[in-house]
Amino acid sequence: MEIITFTAYLRSILFLFLLSIGLSSCYSVRLISRDGVPEPEPTNDDQDFYKNKKVFVIDTTINLKATEGSFSLIRNCGPLGFYAVEYRVSLGHILLSGITLGRTRKVNVKYVRLKDEN
Amino acid sequence: MATTTSTPIEWWNNLHENGPWKSHLFHNTALAAKADMPLPLDRYNDAAIEIQRLLANASEKNEGFRAIGSRWSLSDIAHHSDQIQSNQLMNIKMPVVVQDLHPDTVLLAENLFLVECGNVIKEIHNFLNSHGKSLKTTGASNGQTIAGCICTGVHGSALDVGSVQDCVIGLNLITGPRPEDRIYLERSGRPALSDNFALKLHSRVLRDDALFYAALVSLGAFGFIHGVVIETEDRFLLKRYVKRVNKEEALKLASSLDFANSSFKIAAETDANGKGRRPFHYKVFINPYVDDPDYVVELMYKKPYQPGYPDPIPGIKTALYKDLIHLFIRIAVNWQNSIPKLIQILNTSILPPVDEELTGMLSEMFYDAGYQGPAFACSVGVDHINSPKALEILVKLAREEGPIPGIFAMRFVKQSKATLAFSKFPVTCMLEIDGINWETKAERMISLEQFCTRMIQVLQDSGIPFTLHWGKNADWGFPCLVKHMFGDQLEEWKTERKKLLPPEMESLFSNGFLKVAGLA
Repeated sequence: MEIITFTAYLRSILFLFLLSIGLSSCYSVRLISRDGVPEPEPTNDDQDFYKNKKVFVIDTTINLKATEGSFSLIRNCGPLGFYAVEYRVSLGHILLSGITLGRTRKVNVKYVRLKDEN
Repeated sequence: MATTTSTPIEWWNNLHENGPWKSHLFHNTALAAKADMPLPLDRYNDAAIEIQRLLANASEKNEGFRAIGSRWSLSDIAHHSDQIQSNQLMNIKMPVVVQDLHPDTVLLAENLFLVECGNVIKEIHNFLNSHGKSLKTTGASNGQTIAGCICTGVHGSALDVGSVQDCVIGLNLITGPRPEDRIYLERSGRPALSDNFALKLHSRVLRDDALFYAALVSLGAFGFIHGVVIETEDRFLLKRYVKRVNKEEALKLASSLDFANSSFKIAAETDANGKGRRPFHYKVFINPYVDDPDYVVELMYKKPYQPGYPDPIPGIKTALYKDLIHLFIRIAVNWQNSIPKLIQILNTSILPPVDEELTGMLSEMFYDAGYQGPAFACSVGVDHINSPKALEILVKLAREEGPIPGIFAMRFVKQSKATLAFSKFPVTCMLEIDGINWETKAERMISLEQFCTRMIQVLQDSGIPFTLHWGKNADWGFPCLVKHMFGDQLEEWKTERKKLLPPEMESLFSNGFLKVAGLA
């Protein structure tokens, strides 16, 4: 009886440990240009930082060949660059990358370009 | 060529979600590509043609047309039930050259710039900074478009400067679809730019003081504001202090603005005789529900520009005492979507600790303000001499007939000559109440609409002359409100409008807000 209780206790600890790793592994980071002006989108009514801004989202999976060590994703990011870039990492992304030895990578990026200067 | 994307819509809302309101067509106009039209002046004039095409189209359908900027106004001043046009991508900026000056002007070309309607304040800051110049004043933040600022009277708290519109010396208006409907308007008594400058904009010149001052705070009713010529000054620094001050002393300063003889002094900001220097900016923060013996005041003192000062942005980003809604949200951080809980928080919260001292340029002191969620804002203008009494009346209203989920601030603005400027007193104290929108039925509270009506009634009963901010929440349909606030200036404004616009264009540039307020 005591062994069963102890095992259940260990399982609970393990579950909480994995949960805490999972939660802390799911995060996003946003980089914002100090003096930049965001490209506007007057029909964007999102209830967050992106309201009124034109938002681009990259949500894709990259599959690398065994000989490829790194990759570059080329997108039309406007002539002036970024006002804001936010990337998101989740436990699922990390596990997928780990299981495939880094050959399959989930990319989840949200960005706002700088408003064109005239 | 400039292009417009037109999208059928059913509803339109402002940034702070005080609507939605019905509308049926939304235009978004973009300038010609630089590769196709390299010269800014060509792109500017090309955009005017595009706007005239839109106006012709609306006119043919007998519909109204309203240009919008960053849609920051909390009233429905920017709304039209027919067509709405966003001009945020129309952002040409050009310096004025000496050859463009009027022969009689005393203005310096180096201080003058033509900026197109859709430039937001932040990009004007960046552009001017690259020329060693600065705007004279802004609102509490930097996201409004220049045309939106001037036609609604956006202001900061610069005691001796005025509002954003007061740095405008010329208006380039498009009043209809015909070539002669492109107008460059400036004062007759203080001409600034030559007829040749207007020719470059394919515009005819009008020099008329009464028309200029009426069109300066136009409420969007004097045609499409395509561009404005602004007067700037050499860039400067502001040293910012946030202090707790005895309530009586803070209000005494509000009514006197006599910083020299006040017992409140900042040691580093006194003259050779030990008297307090007059600040560039003075603002008072008030939680109306707490009998705290102190208020918190924000003061900024103007200093010559010197490079190498520490970056103030990290401090500004974490500062509490910036725009009022920001402070409110920080106080009410634990309100858990419950209005009673929020009111409880307000009833027990003294204003939080003051911010650290910071130094920076105007563009840095009044930096980005992030979206804080659906919000309301009411703003009453009174002669600063009457400001303590007006504050007492409005606090009493909020306490006895509220509570409402908002807090108060006082800002101070020098008089504007614009005919319908709410900053019409020698120094106007703008008494502001900012907070979050609330549902009335669920909470059994006074509604925002009821509060806005009562605000007018109690001020009228007090006999204190007052105005209301055009871009903020108010009972704009209150009987004879604008007449009460502006007297004969209302008819003067209407007369000047009729001088400028033929009846069909008066109708096109009128919207529900103007009609409800008795302005159209």
